[in-house]
Amino acid sequence: MKLKTKLTLFNTISKLVIVTIFVMLLPVLIKSISQRYTDTRLLKQKNKLLQIIKNQGIKSYIESGESSASYYTPLKEDYVSLAVDSLPGNVDTIKNEKRKLEGDTIEYRILSHNFKEGNKKYMLEVAISVDAINETTRPFQNIAFMILLGMILLTILADQLYSNYILKPLGQIIKTKLIGHKFPNFGPYDKVKTTTSDFEYLDISIHKMIETIESTFQKEREFISNASHELMTPISILQSKIENMFEREDILDEFKTRLLEMQRILNRLKSITKTLLLISQIENEQFLKEDKIRVSELLQEVYDEISIRLQDKNISYEAVITNDCLLVNVNKFLLFNLFFNLINNAIKYNRENGSIRIFAARENNLFTISIIDTGIGISPENLPHIFDRFKKMRQSLQQDSFGLGLPIVKSIAGFHGIKVTVQSEKDKGSTFKLVFPDILIET
Amino acid sequence: MNVLIIEDEKALAAELEIFLVNYNYICEVCYNGASASEKIGVNLYDFILIDLGLPDYDGLELLKEARKSNPEAICMILTARAEVYDRIKGLDLGADDYLPKPFSLLELQSRMQAITRRKFGLKQNLVDLSGFLINLTDRTISYYNQEIGTITKKEFDLIAYLLLHKNRTLTRSQLSEHIWGSIINDDYDSNYIDAHIKNIRKKLNAYAPPDWLETVRGLGYKIKVNG
Repeated sequence: MKLKTKLTLFNTISKLVIVTIFVMLLPVLIKSISQRYTDTRLLKQKNKLLQIIKNQGIKSYIESGESSASYYTPLKEDYVSLAVDSLPGNVDTIKNEKRKLEGDTIEYRILSHNFKEGNKKYMLEVAISVDAINETTRPFQNIAFMILLGMILLTILADQLYSNYILKPLGQIIKTKLIGHKFPNFGPYDKVKTTTSDFEYLDISIHKMIETIESTFQKEREFISNASHELMTPISILQSKIENMFEREDILDEFKTRLLEMQRILNRLKSITKTLLLISQIENEQFLKEDKIRVSELLQEVYDEISIRLQDKNISYEAVITNDCLLVNVNKFLLFNLFFNLINNAIKYNRENGSIRIFAARENNLFTISIIDTGIGISPENLPHIFDRFKKMRQSLQQDSFGLGLPIVKSIAGFHGIKVTVQSEKDKGSTFKLVFPDILIET
Repeated sequence: MNVLIIEDEKALAAELEIFLVNYNYICEVCYNGASASEKIGVNLYDFILIDLGLPDYDGLELLKEARKSNPEAICMILTARAEVYDRIKGLDLGADDYLPKPFSLLELQSRMQAITRRKFGLKQNLVDLSGFLINLTDRTISYYNQEIGTITKKEFDLIAYLLLHKNRTLTRSQLSEHIWGSIINDDYDSNYIDAHIKNIRKKLNAYAPPDWLETVRGLGYKIKVNG
């Protein structure tokens, strides 16, 4: 998951959780606040009333001879009552209770308080109806909810915009420096604009690493190219000397056999040098891609060269070309060598009476050539290394090869943008699959 | 025929001279561009072999000079230089052939012969080997007017190469290099030449035993031509 997506998700989820908790707590909170407010109001009213009674005497509320008196608003939203208290003990409470006033049962928040006035005990009740309280708290609650929601949405938006802005350089670094670059060929350095020092550091570090890798690759390529060129002349001299000596009639056959061995060893040196030179020339892009050739024609040419090698182990060969197409923008010499090496390997590592089958067809809209052999196969632990130079698998040690066949294949395929995949099962055989990019296929 | 060898590696120049003298060419050797330029200006040659990598002279300049003062000469370029085959081909240097180092001396000789034949339009090149008539121009083999059509291109290449160097033993390495030299692969010691020879013998045996195609034990093969 991308960093930006993660941040957005966390942002949204955390805020939603906070909102949910708050919304759930809101009624309880508002209720307790409004209750405390109501209670204070009741207490204030009580104190005022007691003050009045103290100053003006109980007579101003209860006519003499009456035992109680109540005062309430026309809609019975609140009331005050005074009554002679006959019960023992002190009362001073605030609680919710139901009262029946002129036939209506209404729930009130009631403050009850008894006090002595003269020689009598009175009970004072100050009350506000619960409905009246709720009528003021409900809109308040709604408004609070709306404001909260608005604020949360605003902060999410702001967070989103800011994280987008601040993470933009990171996205650029990933897009321009890491993705879409064909290793080891990188483009020129393009500084990513950012004020975040971490990103600046990251950008510069990546650039420096790329530069180091590039120059190392360049040096390696130059070295291989120079070394193989320098080796050509001495090899040439040795080869000529051996050939001239071989032709002399005054040299015994015994010595000629030894000259022959020298020639074979020199050939090996020559093959290695030529192969390394070829790979370095491919990597330095010294070949043109201007040839056109039909797949059937190319495979036939390879077959003509290689068919003699099938005889030894009596290997059957079959090429099934379902969709023959014209390859364009290719180097014929290189492609010939690619197929020659793949098929040569399929022969070399095959068993007696084995088979080689080649399928050329469009698969999922991509032109694909598969080379399937019934050979010794490649074990899973060796599979990642088969394209490494000079890597020889144990079972192939008896073969006269030096482990450059598949590196050639890899270089040529890479040069043309052909994707090579290998599937193999030990002792069953291997399948080399080449997937051609559209640019090489004439439509 | 006169050959001018322009090669700054003295050891290689010496071997080229030994080999070509053995094939009855008359050789002159130059180790640098200045003396080569002088010789080209004064003498006429049939062949000029130019190493492109001379220390004092641009080999291509030398080629131009040679074209001017020796227009009849066959110019061949021998090089180990960094140019890729493709590009050298594309340059159209005006050379008659191009041989990248390292090359086999036999290959050099066979190329020289091929160009001579091409340039002077020699008439049909026929060789009779005890009844087998080998036509090097049409690249066919026939036995008393009956063409042997089963011989493949590769097989004919082998016969022609052996015939060109008749009465000499050619090693498997030399033969391999001739017929598979341009292919880059990681075999260096193949016995596929033996398989080819076996096939050739089998095909010819249907007409008559090809005794002229000899196996030289432990060394290689040769075509024996009497007289």
